[in-house]
Amino acid sequence: MAAPMLTPPDPLEPAPLIDGKYNDRDINNTLLAHVWRGAGKGWWACFAVALSLLGMLVISISWTLYKGIGTWGNNIPVGWAFGIINFVWWIGIGHAGTLISAILLLFQQKWRTSINRFAEAMTLFAVICALLFPLIHTGRPWFAAYWLLPYPSTNGIWPQFKSPLTWDVFAVSTYFTISLLFWFLGLVPDLAALRDSSQSKMKRTVYGMLALGWRGSGRHWAEYKWAYVLLAGLSTPLVLSVHTIVSFDFATSVIPGWHTTIFPPYFVAGAVFSGFAMVMTWMVPARRFLGLKHVVTMKHLENMNKIMLVTGMFVTYGYLMEHFIAWYSGDPYEFAQFYYTRMRGPMKGVYWTMIFCNVVVPQIFWWKRWRTTIPVMWVASIFINIGMWCERYNIVVTSLHRDFIPSKWENYLPTWVDISLFAGTIGLFSTLFLLFLKFIPAVAVTEVKELRHELAHDPTADPVGETH
Amino acid sequence: MSSSEQGHGDPPFIPRRFVVVEFPSPQALLDGTPKMREAGYAQLDTHSPFPIHGLEEALGLKRPKIPLIVLCGAIAGACIAYSLIYFCNVIDWPLNIGNRPAHGPPANIPITFELAVLLGGGSSFFGFFALAGLPRPYHPVFESNEFLRASIDSFFLSIELPPGTDAERALADVRAAGAMSAEGVAESER
Repeated sequence: MAAPMLTPPDPLEPAPLIDGKYNDRDINNTLLAHVWRGAGKGWWACFAVALSLLGMLVISISWTLYKGIGTWGNNIPVGWAFGIINFVWWIGIGHAGTLISAILLLFQQKWRTSINRFAEAMTLFAVICALLFPLIHTGRPWFAAYWLLPYPSTNGIWPQFKSPLTWDVFAVSTYFTISLLFWFLGLVPDLAALRDSSQSKMKRTVYGMLALGWRGSGRHWAEYKWAYVLLAGLSTPLVLSVHTIVSFDFATSVIPGWHTTIFPPYFVAGAVFSGFAMVMTWMVPARRFLGLKHVVTMKHLENMNKIMLVTGMFVTYGYLMEHFIAWYSGDPYEFAQFYYTRMRGPMKGVYWTMIFCNVVVPQIFWWKRWRTTIPVMWVASIFINIGMWCERYNIVVTSLHRDFIPSKWENYLPTWVDISLFAGTIGLFSTLFLLFLKFIPAVAVTEVKELRHELAHDPTADPVGETH
Repeated sequence: MSSSEQGHGDPPFIPRRFVVVEFPSPQALLDGTPKMREAGYAQLDTHSPFPIHGLEEALGLKRPKIPLIVLCGAIAGACIAYSLIYFCNVIDWPLNIGNRPAHGPPANIPITFELAVLLGGGSSFFGFFALAGLPRPYHPVFESNEFLRASIDSFFLSIELPPGTDAERALADVRAAGAMSAEGVAESER
């Protein structure tokens, strides 16, 4: 028996945004159910794996701080390696969250409502993982980390404000702060809903404190809507600026393979591409195990796949342009970098993995059949995550390991510390994410209720939430 | 205002009184609120699980203040960033690197922009909570047991009664304005 839909189905786009007929209380109960339910065996199994990986992070950070960054595989000329690869990879993953929560809000894309909380949480945790790397790559963070901030220190000098690395400090710390504020602001009404539906006094007190005494006041909503949309409006150029500045770290240098003007847009597109892939990787299991299939419908998954296809094409265009300019510039070092070192050098495996994962794999999303097949999209999202990591490896390590003078060429191999640091941040991310899924509603309950009223009462509303 | 540290000389505690009214739907709330305003009740507020379109008009609110606060915050952030960089690079410690000018405007843009966003966004968040008077764990409307549903699926109107107003008359007025149920609550002394 098919569940009745809110609006007559569109024969071309049959998947609705909210599947079935629900009232506010049903939405409230189904979306909060996973918070009230005790942790199941599956959750504990995942949590155990995540905690073990987190343990690796603690060990590898401790070892790095005890011995110094000589424990990493970095050498001369490969002075930047896993540290910055992982930093850029994690920051990029975070960007999809801001895109979904801010940019799609400004474009009034109704389908963002069910996935924004989830994606914003991912942003926060990914940025935490990213921030670890610049901190520990200094080797002695208690000496070095604060040198980048402008304060009148005993050194008597100021940070170099003309350096993209200093811009990066401001960009990433602003990004983390604004993402946190935006996320919490969206969460307050849901925390009040949690407070008011909690069964025990302890839960009621904890969620009550977090809800800050929210009482859904109309006077508050009037200001709240503006505060929320303005934070979205500020986050939109912010997210573009963050990855632009990250790409400046490379683009303002003279290394063949880095010194290119296409980097800012190409980095931003790559960031959104990998971020959507990461949302997909987590959303597919989460919607099933948390019982969110009625609000995260096939429509949402398909739209995310379409965005992956589009941003994948941007990234492909970036690769093509890099290769074209390397040839067209007539610069022998640029040419050698792209046509010999990357394609045929000792690290060609990484290059071809990148091409396969980022250029070939997303093409399956041209077919509606694959866009709407869950195992296919889940596997593709993992390929894209791997491909985007390989892209950063290509940019960082492959570009550096063939220096201008062949006598300076050196191979690069990560050490166990490098690998456990990377695996460890995956553990940190997963731990935080699993805790989030346990204690906080994974879907913005308030916004889904608002969307439901909007869809139910506005006969002109687009039934599938596509605003053209 | 309740105070837990009342001395002997303090005036006696006079609880604030509210009428908490439930409406059956958002539309009923939108219709009922102006009726109560017309009936002469000034201290009105609505309580709903999500923002309802048209509430500002129903409550007769003025333009929201947040946009101006955010604009001021963003401008302050930009000014602070640019002048800090200018002070460091030009006034306090100019460095001659390859004879480049100490004041390099293009290089100052990224940090200026980031600080404008940081302070603009920060003033949006903190400005909102300051305007809303939150955090405020206790409010007299929470005395109503029905009010638990205000964050879930119900639509409430709360009316603060000035001292000396007859609560029974207010209850009769809200029923006439389309309320589903109504009860009077008083602030508890804590």
